[in-house]
Amino acid sequence: MTNDEIRMTKEAPIPNVESLALNRAGHYSAFELRHSFVIRKFVIRHSACLFLLSSHLALAESPRPTLPPEQRTNGRQTLSAVSPLKPLTLGCTARMESVLGRPICTATIVGADGYLLTKASEVPDLDKARVRFADGRTAALREVHREVRLDLVLAQAVGVTGLRAVSFGAAKPLTLGQWLCSTAEAGREPRIGIVSAQRRRIPGTGAALGIRMDEKTPKEVKGVRIIGIASESPAEIAGLQENDVLLNIAGEAVAQYRRVHELVNKRQPGEIIEVRYLRKDKEETCRVRLASRTKVLQNWEGEDFANGGISLRSDNFPEVLQHDIPLLPTDMGGPVATLEGKIVGINIARVDRVTTFALPVEAFWSEVQKWMQADRHPPKAVLVK
Amino acid sequence: MRTPFCFLLTSILLVGQMRGAEQRQNAEKAPKTDLATLLGVQNDVQKLLPQVRPALVAIQTGGGTASGVIISADGLLLTAAHVPGGPGKDMRVILEDGSVTTAKSLGLDKATDAALAQLKKREKPWPFVKLSREVIKAQPGEWCFALGHPGGFDKSRGPVLRVGKIIKQTANSLHTDCVLMGGDSGGPLFNFTGEVIGIHSQIWENRDQNVHVSMTPFLRSWEAMQKSQVIKIWGVGAGGYLGVATVMSDDVELEVADVIEGSPAQKAGVRAGDVILSVNDDAMTDQQQFTATVRSKAAGDTLKIKLRSSGKERELAVKLAQKPQEDSE
Repeated sequence: MTNDEIRMTKEAPIPNVESLALNRAGHYSAFELRHSFVIRKFVIRHSACLFLLSSHLALAESPRPTLPPEQRTNGRQTLSAVSPLKPLTLGCTARMESVLGRPICTATIVGADGYLLTKASEVPDLDKARVRFADGRTAALREVHREVRLDLVLAQAVGVTGLRAVSFGAAKPLTLGQWLCSTAEAGREPRIGIVSAQRRRIPGTGAALGIRMDEKTPKEVKGVRIIGIASESPAEIAGLQENDVLLNIAGEAVAQYRRVHELVNKRQPGEIIEVRYLRKDKEETCRVRLASRTKVLQNWEGEDFANGGISLRSDNFPEVLQHDIPLLPTDMGGPVATLEGKIVGINIARVDRVTTFALPVEAFWSEVQKWMQADRHPPKAVLVK
Repeated sequence: MRTPFCFLLTSILLVGQMRGAEQRQNAEKAPKTDLATLLGVQNDVQKLLPQVRPALVAIQTGGGTASGVIISADGLLLTAAHVPGGPGKDMRVILEDGSVTTAKSLGLDKATDAALAQLKKREKPWPFVKLSREVIKAQPGEWCFALGHPGGFDKSRGPVLRVGKIIKQTANSLHTDCVLMGGDSGGPLFNFTGEVIGIHSQIWENRDQNVHVSMTPFLRSWEAMQKSQVIKIWGVGAGGYLGVATVMSDDVELEVADVIEGSPAQKAGVRAGDVILSVNDDAMTDQQQFTATVRSKAAGDTLKIKLRSSGKERELAVKLAQKPQEDSE
């Protein structure tokens, strides 16, 4: 790995990541700084790692005493400590899946009569999802209330009763270093970790496609040319390519890269927009599922390989608890408990290799109770004389 | 950066076999953890945190952000060698309370990623932690905790704590399941007496693969590092540079695992997955032989490499380049 390449990777996103000019001074420099190290560590050492990884046959012969996986922090033997909590955590968790059975995210059961909370941006359309309970039952979902501010959706599993709902405790008294327990594998297995940083608000950066655009698209070209695509970004996943010319974003014709940025940025991560573009003189359309701009920037070069994936929406939360429980994006929406089995939050975003955010119970529970109350007892029509 | 690991691994292999067997037996006897154990761990960490946190620093260099830890009242700082990259480098240092000062890097051990730096003098003693001189005590299964500034200093977030277990100790490093990422480099790993037992250095893809420099290289090279000397066992720039990482495949063939962007190998068309059959008509059978062959040639020399790609044999001529220097900021 040469310095040239480091420089290249550092500079690659600079020209205009969906118009960084808007924000260059603040967020951008921060991004640049934090990145070069990531790149160094990941890329330079990555090839070194391959040696060791691929030599795991040799490692299995144990060149040095190595702690077996089951004895590690999240190994079977250590996790046996939290198995008494299972009814209070795993027992109150369900799996959100596509109609084909692919796991989407995790749901926390908040009402015995089928009420569930989950991460809203993972399930933009509940008609295309179903819930699978620990006992194997599945059910269709009815959306009760969607709260974009909290990235939560309250839904009801249709025709399901007799569930065990979580018992909420208080998140306020949690201290740095306190153990927490959560669920992985879509609510099937426990995982432990600790409160790893201060509680705080996470500002939003808007949504992004993960493209760099030509600032000086020639006059004769009607649209905005793409000159770079971020690895594993919404744009790449949707099949957009370098040199495609963007013509229309969510119903509006575009001629300027700034406008593309505006149109995309104001939307919510997780939202799906229609993009019309020109490729080799042929007009085509694709649907793009937007992600948080933070996520796209942090993952420009696919640095995320060591993270096991991060959530589409990883910012813009009024308050979060940060913990180090090893989870995946599909585990979001599940409960976070203390070792006493009290639920203190709901996992809301897998952010990077070391970070998961959970919404603390105080940030949502009183509101959610009102939504449930209103749904169970809708106001009767009043006869006006 | 590839060869050191190759050497390291093979040398370890020769000595480690017996102990591996013992360890496996112990593993089966290990008791299950209970809630009381976890709560004990939590109490210990929370008791130590206020003592050790003030010694953690964030470091900013031209190249990025990282972490470090103060280990003496007069401001000696431990960090990872890839943070300053060389001796005499000025670094911006942010203390836990957000106040800013500077430090200058002293010596470093590039082979193990250990580095020493000196904070700017001040009247008041610096908050510091002790380092562990009994490296042997950091055994697999011991609980430990990590502090650092992953992603850089963030006042509203503060330092990030991780609690985990030691997985392995090697000659110069500790492996733990305290998950690290960019920005943590140089930060401290603590034992449960609050002593530094490791300095965050590198990660691999798996979440249980987090590597810290152990205290061994620091203790061994302390004086040299204080004199701002650079320790390089595997010299950068020695021999020609090809730019491939190799692995031994399941069929015990020398396979290309990775080709570095922009390297001579990539330019010549070597691809990951190719099997290296011979170099200059010498059959290649293992990694050391291959590395030695490449290294024995100078930059500018041309190698004739015979490969097998998806079943087909082909031959390439690759002109070796100068090994890129890492520390020319």
